[in-house]
Amino acid sequence: MSRNISLIVGATIAASVIGIALAAPWIAPFPNHAGGFVDFHHRHSPPGWPHLFGTDNVGRDILSRICFGYRISLLLVAVVVCLSTPVGVFLGIIAAYAGGRVETAIMRFTDIILAIPPLVMALAIGAALTPSLSSALIAIVALWWTWDARLAYRAAKSVVAEDFIEAAKLSGAGHFHMLFKEILPNCLGVILVQAAFDAGFVILFGGALSFLGLGVQPPTPDLGTMIATGARFLPEHWWEAAMPGIAILYAILGFLLIADGLRAAVDPDR
Amino acid sequence: MSAPLLDVNGLTLCVHGVANGVQLLFNVSFLVAKGERVALIGESGGGKSMSMKAVMGTLPRGVRATGGSIRFDGRELVGLSEYERDRLKGSAMALVMQDPLTSFSPLFTVETQFDDIVRSVDARRDVREPERQRRARMRAALISVQLPDPDRVLGAYPWQLSGGMRQRVLIAMALIHRPRLLIADELGSALDVTTQQEILRLLDRLVDEENLSLLLISHNLAVVRQLCQRAYVMEQGRIIDHGPVERLFADPASETTRRLIKAVPPLYGPDVRSQPDPIDAVPVVVLDRVTKLYKRSDIAAVADVSATIHRGDISGIVGESGSGKTTLARMIMGLVPPTSGQITIDPASRIQLVYQNPGSSLNPRRTISQTLDLPLRAAGVKDAAKRRARIAELLTLVELPPTMADRYPRDLSGGQKQRVAIARALAVEPQILVLDEPTSALDASVQQVIVDLLLRLHRELGLTYIFISHDLGLMRNLCNRIAVMFRGRLCEQDATERIFHEPEQLYTRILLSAVPVLTDAEEQAKPQIGAAERDSLFGTGG
Repeated sequence: MSRNISLIVGATIAASVIGIALAAPWIAPFPNHAGGFVDFHHRHSPPGWPHLFGTDNVGRDILSRICFGYRISLLLVAVVVCLSTPVGVFLGIIAAYAGGRVETAIMRFTDIILAIPPLVMALAIGAALTPSLSSALIAIVALWWTWDARLAYRAAKSVVAEDFIEAAKLSGAGHFHMLFKEILPNCLGVILVQAAFDAGFVILFGGALSFLGLGVQPPTPDLGTMIATGARFLPEHWWEAAMPGIAILYAILGFLLIADGLRAAVDPDR
Repeated sequence: MSAPLLDVNGLTLCVHGVANGVQLLFNVSFLVAKGERVALIGESGGGKSMSMKAVMGTLPRGVRATGGSIRFDGRELVGLSEYERDRLKGSAMALVMQDPLTSFSPLFTVETQFDDIVRSVDARRDVREPERQRRARMRAALISVQLPDPDRVLGAYPWQLSGGMRQRVLIAMALIHRPRLLIADELGSALDVTTQQEILRLLDRLVDEENLSLLLISHNLAVVRQLCQRAYVMEQGRIIDHGPVERLFADPASETTRRLIKAVPPLYGPDVRSQPDPIDAVPVVVLDRVTKLYKRSDIAAVADVSATIHRGDISGIVGESGSGKTTLARMIMGLVPPTSGQITIDPASRIQLVYQNPGSSLNPRRTISQTLDLPLRAAGVKDAAKRRARIAELLTLVELPPTMADRYPRDLSGGQKQRVAIARALAVEPQILVLDEPTSALDASVQQVIVDLLLRLHRELGLTYIFISHDLGLMRNLCNRIAVMFRGRLCEQDATERIFHEPEQLYTRILLSAVPVLTDAEEQAKPQIGAAERDSLFGTGG
């Protein structure tokens, strides 16, 4: 019951984040502040009216920039959930199902990629290409699947040991049926939970990349970049870093609550 | 009768926190006199374990006694403070757990876990003793349960010990504080029959020597008969029958008692239910010097096995865990290749497998009809309507309503799931079925129903069965031929009657002598084995 509450609250938060991102041009109080707008007259205004979350070092409304910043965050989430997760899950269950050399090859390759620190990889890609949103996306996609591959592999490995897998083989099932009808549905629970966790962490990771100047380039509003810029004016102008920080926290909280609620729904024994 | 040690009178248990409170036990009364051995018997869910937990004071959170009393040596236990209650646990009354593996943590040595128990029970009784003294007591306790090398056992991790040794350690743990009441939960039911027999004998001797009272929780009447004088039969939280064990068996007053008696098939005597005559002498499975060696192991899982199974046979392979019977079955199925030797299966025959545990052999995420659909589709039945009709036909064949097709395995009972597993095996119309302990994961009363179903299918469809089991009583009433496996070898195979009445090999005789039985006549018909003979095969200990 209490877990269901976390699922409901999490879904509400996530829906509000998605809603804000989609409707940013209409609900942001100062939509034009999302771009290269400059208003030195109102720089560093503390939270109040009309700038509810205050303004930054060039006088842009922080609330408006957060609304637009969510778009970048959700883009990262979408890329990970739609690209990295399926690729990782697919490789993981193939490794567990095929066994032998295929298993060794896939999982050792995964281990090698896992051994590279994500930020170092992102730095390398950023240096090889130009620091931009797309290179940040490439870095994230190139790394993120490994976690899903590991997880799906572990889950599928225990499913493969069950008698019903052998029974299905004895019944004459083909590989496609084995992978997607017998194995995958039994791993889906943990994968969903992980995807929800991923959604939270990828926002954080994207924020970290932008903070280091590797991701979204100014003046495009991005929560990580906003924190990086705002941090220079701590502690007097605390809202410039704190408000985007709280915004990240809010979004992550939503996804993590979903993950927590899903886990309870998937595995009611815990 | 002397004064009762344990007197449970009108005990009623309820779950609180649920609307209206669900009642678990209804007016349960039983007595255990000093030095008496009493059994609580019944099927799972009957209330045996709840009664036991009420006595031990280990009821789950939210379950409370709402009526009745539990008097232990004249002292009322219901309503006693937790502190007072804890002082009794382990010292005045002790419990021997059912599962010797999960009762230990794999991370610590036996000594650490044993010592923890000794110290915590000591602490509750405000006793303090030096480590050296505790160790000496633990060693003595282990020797008394016939573990001849206590230092090795104490230094070992639980997983380094055999199941029988772990069970002995559990008994030693229960007895170290010299309790007056020993509660044994399904003693030895997780062990092989020969090991179980040794444990039962050991407990029998210890209870006598220490003049203990014994409360045995069991579903196996043969085990109860061997150890206990009186028994109470439980069903749905009530005691429905009780009396001296001999009387209960001779004159069962309730349907449940009768069912429980039927669940122990006779080892000897006239009540043979089936044993088919082979249809003809056509060999359908021929094993020729089949051997399986696994990598990284010097011991052959299956060594040099030759056998012939004829059409219409119900051919039993009996053996204890690790004897190689499952490996043999998997080789017959073609799931693992033999290292050497030849397995020939009649090319006109299809062969299918029914697994032991239907909980694992059915995909929990697929409905019954999806599970049954797969073999039909793979066999090339393209027409969906035809497949649906065949699924309904298969469900009817295994005596399930066709409306079950849209359910998931979790909606079905264990017996129903096993029926579905059998239906799946039958979908492609095989001639041979390999049955790997098809009843051992099921409740005692359900076992007989599944066996009856298998016999009917055998008759009606003209099947050949290869029946793998450790349950000799069951096989005697089912198989026309039996092969006995011991440590990978086929040590004896012949017609069932011959195996049972004139067993040649020592192991076969030991196996037969270890099976707990229900009547004195069977007890006398069993081969009698001396301890020296047994040790000559197994070695001492273990």
